[in-house]
Amino acid sequence: MYIPITVDHIARVEGKGGIEIVTSDEGVKEVKLNIIEGPRFFEAITIGKKLEEALAIYPRVCSFCSASHKLTALESAEKAIGFTPRPEIQDLRELLYMGDTIESHALHLYLLVLPDYLGYSNPLAMVDKYKREIEYAMALKNIGSKIMDYLGSRAIHQENAVLGGFGKLPTKTQFEELKRELKEALPLAEYTVELFSKLEQYEEVTDDEMVHMAVKPRNDVYGIYGDYIKVSDGFEFPVEDYKKHIVEKVVEHSFAKHSFYKGRPFMVGAISRIVNNADLLYGKAKELYTQYKDLLRYNNCFANNFAQAIELVYFIERAIDIIDDTLAKWPVKERDEVELKDGFGVSITEAPRGLLVYALEVKDGRVNYADIITPTAMNLAIMERHVRMMAENHWQDDPERLKLLAEMTVRAYDPCISCSVHVVRL
Amino acid sequence: MSEKVRIGFYALTSCYGCQLQMAMMDEILHLLDKAEIECWFMVERDSDEDREVDIAFIEGSVSTQEEVELVKKIREKAKIVVAVGACATQGGVQSWGKDKELSELWKTVYGDAHVKFEPKMAEPVEKYIKVDYKLYGCPPEKKDFLYALGTFLVGSWPEDIDYPVCVECRLRGNPCILIEKGEPCLGPVTVAGCDARCPGFNVACIGCRGAVGYDVAWFDSLALEFKKKGLTKEEILERMKIFNAHNPKLEEMVNKIFEEGE
Ligand code: SF4
Ligand code: SF4
Ligand code: SF4
Repeated sequence: MYIPITVDHIARVEGKGGIEIVTSDEGVKEVKLNIIEGPRFFEAITIGKKLEEALAIYPRVCSFCSASHKLTALESAEKAIGFTPRPEIQDLRELLYMGDTIESHALHLYLLVLPDYLGYSNPLAMVDKYKREIEYAMALKNIGSKIMDYLGSRAIHQENAVLGGFGKLPTKTQFEELKRELKEALPLAEYTVELFSKLEQYEEVTDDEMVHMAVKPRNDVYGIYGDYIKVSDGFEFPVEDYKKHIVEKVVEHSFAKHSFYKGRPFMVGAISRIVNNADLLYGKAKELYTQYKDLLRYNNCFANNFAQAIELVYFIERAIDIIDDTLAKWPVKERDEVELKDGFGVSITEAPRGLLVYALEVKDGRVNYADIITPTAMNLAIMERHVRMMAENHWQDDPERLKLLAEMTVRAYDPCISCSVHVVRL
Repeated sequence: MSEKVRIGFYALTSCYGCQLQMAMMDEILHLLDKAEIECWFMVERDSDEDREVDIAFIEGSVSTQEEVELVKKIREKAKIVVAVGACATQGGVQSWGKDKELSELWKTVYGDAHVKFEPKMAEPVEKYIKVDYKLYGCPPEKKDFLYALGTFLVGSWPEDIDYPVCVECRLRGNPCILIEKGEPCLGPVTVAGCDARCPGFNVACIGCRGAVGYDVAWFDSLALEFKKKGLTKEEILERMKIFNAHNPKLEEMVNKIFEEGE
């Protein structure tokens, strides 16, 4: 007898997706991640549109990482028109990016992941018993949002990041305020590491063949931007060659494509960044990394949660450093003039969930070609593989438990399903 | 009200930003004593689209046949239906591609590949069901949610805004980037409520809160500024379509700006 187990709508993730597991007396027959979010065709609709207007809508690919989409699209557009932003501007963009990552990690860890471990169906129900955790979640989320409000115009869909720099920069007082609040948030991030160190005991998924991809950070500082991609098998490639090494395929059961490296699924995200670049961590994050190395298992996707907790600490410290540097150089000019020359540019950055690719061609001030590959699209194939492994270990369990474990596997990837649904031009 | 208000938050095709905005409000914690979440997949695992609710918030544009069925079901089960954000009220940025054929969009992104779901051109929720109230913006401001929730909870009804972003921009004392730099700021023709967020950062408004009606007193004087600044009709129309592709009066409105009055 074949028994289908379905989760129609995976809760507590961004976007609409489902899981289908079919078992028989002998074991697991079939596992599918159904991505049912409608397609939004971002690449196609921006072709022929004015570059500035297209750049204004790219963040709308995804709300959880809108700043990442904005900044990656901007970098690729600036490469296309042959413009390089001043180092101060690059740093401040990185700071905006950190606001995004801090907010996104805090929301994912506390509001989307934690309820499963504590036995709740939603984070709001935890308020009575876990008041401190909810308060910390809100405080960490708030500092991330505030960075985006001040530098990006708002926490979702930032308009204040434009070709050549920013429309307007925060005042010196606002930077000082951000720094003060980041310092206050640091112990909360450290608490998050402690908290997750106690939860991360899952062994169900052990995939020794797992390969991780991450940006090789520019200037040798653990971070967001880079010109090369590093693979955990030792291979490196320039971002311009992405199509050769990240190969996409359309699959029938999903509006999102699957990605392969050397014919195999691969992983991107916080754990992939740590696997590839841990030697570049510094400060408190480095100490915590050393202390908890054993929990950062490269072969278990659940380690992604813990890696995000370590990154929360790191990005808060790094954000403080960037503010210090900025204040030391004050006043900083917000924007340089750009000329919309014709050209083609590729940018790959580290969005909160992993590698984000934008390739744009600009002609006569308009977008002539656009290709976007999102982290979740890259992770879908390996996510499906790990849900299958989880199902193989637990197919005889109570179906409700299997469902929960399958969902938790998906949640460990922190997927952004709407992100994954507008994919590449073939 | 003695009993808790039953709330549902439903997503169609979207970026999930409107619900994220609502979920991120610290105020949401205070709401809990007064409300019961029946369906809200982003925060509640025990969600069910089939339950009856008092207020249904719908985010996203109708972009698949399944979503057409879903909005009809929501309408049947809900007392008040609120369309939330530019996707649900105006079709969203995904409607910017409306000038192209669906098949062309599909081919550009997926080639000849086939998937088992049926895509549609994105459309606003109102196209399929009666909507009782709309929250504009991409995403709406937190205060939009608070105002709407607050009034619903006391059994009242929020008021629509019928003045443009420029009004708020003047009140904030921003320099006008349309007048001073000739940038294509859509402030004159966009519904206010964001406190002129983008012009406050020296960035031209792209019209995310939707087009304001053009039969109100200030329209001619403000909108004609486009013409004076040398912006073309096509330029303004193209820009307004980012968020307003489904607005049936758009052409008429832009024609009015450019053809009438001096
Ligand atoms: S209106 Fe904007 S913020 Fe809201 S779901 Fe649509 S794209 Fe996202
Ligand atoms: S046109 Fe734009 S900048 Fe000028 S007043 Fe209106 S909203 Fe403000
Ligand atoms: S200024 Fe315009 S684009 Fe910016 S938030 Fe307000 S309505 Fe939206």
